Amino acid sequence: MFDCAAMLASFTAPIEIGTNEWSIVWMFPLIAAISLVYKATKMRVLLTKKYLLESLLLFLSVSGFMIMAIFVLNLLDWLITG
Amino acid sequence: MTTNTNNRSPAEQGLWLLIVGLAAWMIPGAGHFLLRERKRGIILFIVITGLFTIGLYVGSIGVVDWVTGRIWFYAQILCSPAVGMIASITKHGGYPTYGRPCDVGQIYTGIAGLLNLLCVLSAVYMAYCGRGEIVGQEEQDDV
Repeated sequence: MFDCAAMLASFTAPIEIGTNEWSIVWMFPLIAAISLVYKATKMRVLLTKKYLLESLLLFLSVSGFMIMAIFVLNLLDWLITG
Repeated sequence: MTTNTNNRSPAEQGLWLLIVGLAAWMIPGAGHFLLRERKRGIILFIVITGLFTIGLYVGSIGVVDWVTGRIWFYAQILCSPAVGMIASITKHGGYPTYGRPCDVGQIYTGIAGLLNLLCVLSAVYMAYCGRGEIVGQEEQDDV
């Protein structure tokens, strides 16, 4: 049976997220949400295919920029401290 | 230039904009739903409440903290007045949150609130332009 109390209790304690490089993947759901909401408010007519395509393009471009920024910052760090 | 296409008196129009804005704040996507932009409203509801719920799950309800995280709370309350109820539960402490989960939880819930502010402004602007009645039909024709 679906345990409602256990589900609610799971919101009272934080989950485990390590402070390693993999914690960066938490940015992707956030970027996806921002892309979906931004395009939903921006597009004049919300045609399903076009909306999904434009949201995907925005998601990919923002993600690409973030990954590029990570590489540049790591390169700078390596040049300065390495 | 934007024109008002509704056949309402200025007082009625003002009240309508207020109702749309309040509905959009209380329930994410409800403002668009009132304007017959149903698809848009459903998408906004699912994405914003989903993002907020993930934030609460990751960092616990302790991330909504009126006492020690006041700046974040200002962003979070934009998601819905219901966030104030969560803050009243957490104001006495007892829901510790710390480290990376707290960061992720605060960012997710804060961004959800700011995205809802965008939706409130979008819904009020659409109501002002009378856009919902025009575009809603075009969207219903889309499969």
